[in-house]
Amino acid sequence: MTVGRTRAKQLAARCLLTALVAYDLFALGVSTPELAVRSSADELHVSAPRLHFLTGKSLQRLHDGAAVPFDFQLSLAAGTHNNVVAQALERFIVSYDVWEEKFSVVRLRDFRKSGSHLSANAAEAWCLDNIFASKANLPANQQLWARLEIRSAEQKELAAISQDSGISLTALIEVFSRPTRPQQEHWALESAPFRLADLKP
Amino acid sequence: MKLALVLIAAGIATSARPMPPPDAAADAERATDLNVNSRYTIESIGFLDERNYKLSTSALEEMRRLIGAKLNTEALNLLVERVRAELRAHDVTFRLARGGEPESVKVLLEVDQGAGKVDVSIPRFGYYSGEGWTAAAEATASIGPNSLSFRALKDNDSSIEQMAGIQTKYTRQLGDRVRLAFEFDAYHDQYDAATLAALAPGSAAPSSLGAGAYSSRLNFEPSASFVLAKPLTLTVGFSFEQLQPELPAASSEAANAVINTLRYHQRWSSSDATAQELDAGYSLRAATKLLGMGLAYTRHAVNARYLYKHDRQSVEVTVLAGVIYGQAPLFERFSLGDSTALRGWNKYDLDPLGGNRLAYGSVTYGYRILRVFYDAGSVWDQGTTPEAKQSAGIGVSSGLGILEKGAFLLAVAFPLRQGRADPVLIAGMNF
Repeated sequence: MTVGRTRAKQLAARCLLTALVAYDLFALGVSTPELAVRSSADELHVSAPRLHFLTGKSLQRLHDGAAVPFDFQLSLAAGTHNNVVAQALERFIVSYDVWEEKFSVVRLRDFRKSGSHLSANAAEAWCLDNIFASKANLPANQQLWARLEIRSAEQKELAAISQDSGISLTALIEVFSRPTRPQQEHWALESAPFRLADLKP
Repeated sequence: MKLALVLIAAGIATSARPMPPPDAAADAERATDLNVNSRYTIESIGFLDERNYKLSTSALEEMRRLIGAKLNTEALNLLVERVRAELRAHDVTFRLARGGEPESVKVLLEVDQGAGKVDVSIPRFGYYSGEGWTAAAEATASIGPNSLSFRALKDNDSSIEQMAGIQTKYTRQLGDRVRLAFEFDAYHDQYDAATLAALAPGSAAPSSLGAGAYSSRLNFEPSASFVLAKPLTLTVGFSFEQLQPELPAASSEAANAVINTLRYHQRWSSSDATAQELDAGYSLRAATKLLGMGLAYTRHAVNARYLYKHDRQSVEVTVLAGVIYGQAPLFERFSLGDSTALRGWNKYDLDPLGGNRLAYGSVTYGYRILRVFYDAGSVWDQGTTPEAKQSAGIGVSSGLGILEKGAFLLAVAFPLRQGRADPVLIAGMNF
């Protein structure tokens, strides 16, 4: 009788432990979207299939016909997380065609670079495809981390940052040097550590 | 330096200068509007909550200019900022919706009044020679759908009585289509010498006059307004008026009426330069003897104003008509010869006690801020022969008809009659 009770307790404990581990793994998978890094010629590109930033208040503004700016910052750290060795900054203007019900994206740095007639997922992927870092100054054998930060911006901020023929880089650096505002939507995700030599094209 | 900031986004230089694109001309064109909807034409601009906000003439002009043109986000943002400033709103944003025609969009402005706000304005400030000054100052506090307004006024212009007093009004918006209101007014009344002479014992005051001179008037007016079908609204309610006679010994009179007002207000802009506006209304006030007390009468009044504007020219036509059955007090009786109707005439010369019949028409031609107008009409009592009066005038104004917010008016009007011409000066401002 005592042996049976002990086995039952052990079984219950194992079940509980298994459930906890499964929950942790599940939670980890859901809460930290994966940032995948890939190499392409002289550039490093990232992708994040689980990341969706065309959501919530920004999506509502887009459906209302507004053009919504999104600021992107891609940082690469070597050795330690704090040792940033490369950084890329971009502003993308996303808008939603109220008649065709499709998204359009313009990269502000280069107005000719744009995507149109896109679904929400395709518009998000287009933005990620168009921010990249050069491999030129990256250490080949050191451990690297990629970090992607995205912030939504107000339409009113567009005029402050944009200039007649392009975008003020200093202004974008300032944007990311400030903490996010309480109402501002923002997303941040980090890749697993990787080495440049191990990356597949 | 441990933190080595290297900016390498596809050849971006680490300079504070803007990055020049290779083809500046093409990019400048693209940069004019990055919103994909900029290829669509603006069909209309309105407010999401369908309320009639008071905007300046120039803000309305700006709206009209944008209608019919391709969507320009920058111009729209400037308009939004201007509307926000004029309404003193917490925030104003715009939404786009598909228009009635392909390739067109409707712009809907959404006004966020914030948690609460207080607005102070002077909706009326005017002078009419022969009558003197008329002025009103208003303070409105708004919290969500509730608003409480307090107005102090001195009005020598709009009625036979000359009144000074207060108006307080509480309104509550219920959804998009219903608004409840409770109004309390208290006035101290005075009269022109001609009116007092006409009321004096032995004079032939008309039998349709429901009460003599009263020294004060109290009004309590609950009402509800319904948007029947935009832009047609119906207001129904009650008006409980108490008239205190000039002689303390005399008993007070009551005028308790059911009130109904049907109003239609629409603006059209067929092109960048052309705009039309129609404002029409019918009001009915039916007073009955409550518990055998009070005055009994029925007052019908219609008004219509049509404005056509093309480029710098405008034409405005106004029509008023009214009829009263029964015995109505002085404040209900019709009058002409003030700063808005039959300008140039003195209402006390025409009829010091007003009349129970009214017919009036006016045409105003405008070029830029110059205004030329011609008025004609008559006010009379049932059983008497109406006598048509005419007047004409010239002046400058930044608005038309009833003074819009921010508009001014300065004019000289002449009653057209044989013998002599006595010019009357009219000045007005709404700010």
